Amino acid sequence: MDLQVFPHRILGSDRTEMLLNEIEALDGVKRTIIQGPRLPPEDPNENPKYAERRVINVHGKEIDLKVKTGRIFIDVSDDFDVSEVKDNIDEVCRELLPFGFDIDIGKFIRTQKTVSDNIKYGNGNIPDELIGMTDQSAKLKDRVTILKRG
Amino acid sequence: MVQYYPGTTQVAQNRRNFTDPNYKLEKLREISDESVVKILGHRAPGEEYKSVHPPLDEMDEPDDYIREIVEPIDGAKAGDRVRYIQFVDSMYFAPAQPYLRSRSYLNRYRGVDAGTLSGRQIIEARERDLERISKELLETEYFDPARTGIRGKSVHGHSLRLDENGVMFDMLRRQVFNKQTGKVEMVKDQIGKELDEPVVLGEPLDEETLKSKTTIYRVDGEAYKDDKDAVEILHKIHVTRSEGGFCPE
Repeated sequence: MDLQVFPHRILGSDRTEMLLNEIEALDGVKRTIIQGPRLPPEDPNENPKYAERRVINVHGKEIDLKVKTGRIFIDVSDDFDVSEVKDNIDEVCRELLPFGFDIDIGKFIRTQKTVSDNIKYGNGNIPDELIGMTDQSAKLKDRVTILKRG
Repeated sequence: MVQYYPGTTQVAQNRRNFTDPNYKLEKLREISDESVVKILGHRAPGEEYKSVHPPLDEMDEPDDYIREIVEPIDGAKAGDRVRYIQFVDSMYFAPAQPYLRSRSYLNRYRGVDAGTLSGRQIIEARERDLERISKELLETEYFDPARTGIRGKSVHGHSLRLDENGVMFDMLRRQVFNKQTGKVEMVKDQIGKELDEPVVLGEPLDEETLKSKTTIYRVDGEAYKDDKDAVEILHKIHVTRSEGGFCPE
């Protein structure tokens, strides 16, 4: 099963970084997807004090943040009880999202390959763990970061 | 006594305050005349007002009773151009909202044209009068740097989730939050042209103040259905309108 965290405000890069680090440290979290409005493209003329785009660090891996976090989808491993993981995430969010959030259990990440996936990656060329991790218009390597579990 | 708006809640009271021209609006910030001109983007600061040529005094205008009855506003007297300022109010407890803006503008200012849409509100007036009005709108309770946008175009955003720092979404990023100072700065004019120097609009109001100043009914603030008086008047208007318009053959 999946979980969806829906913050009542759009998160900036600092808070996203903190939240992802906390969520990724929890047991039972298999995959995490952040979704939201795109950050404006890099602009060399932009004043750095207003810049929102930056590289965040999640458990030692550098991730070039492409969006402002509007939703977080979490794939929970089958070996764990989803409501327990939900409670843990709830606790983390309570601390980091003081303006409020919703958290739901459901199916939010697709598990089956689409026609677009087949056209893009060829039949059977995409491992199951990567299905649903990115939208069909983007390159997989731009959007997916694999973290090693200690 | 003039009855501006029914209701017993704070929201209703705020609506009455805005609409009542005798109510003095609280001044919350200081914005210089030059900054207002920069934000509007209609003329360069210090530049002359463009007006009709030949000047109105030299023009041979036809006789008109209205011209004798009505005292023209300064801009009209000088033959200024008609210019505009447009505001966008977030649904998240912005101090004003489009309908209220129109009602209050027409009660408070002479010689203006107000246009109301669901998410934005435009006011048109002669240039020098518009600058005076804009200054008042920006400095008083009408405006909050985070929840109100000054947007001549690309207005989308009033119903979107706010950023974590409380600033409303703006696709052109005219009003940006400066993390170091905690103030909102206007880096582009209202139509999105870069300004040489940012105009500091001040600190956003905190959530509590906004909730006490807002004119928007919301379930997570003061719900409309809880304002018995306002709902009763609305029902009365609805019934009288329906019955008044009912015309059996």
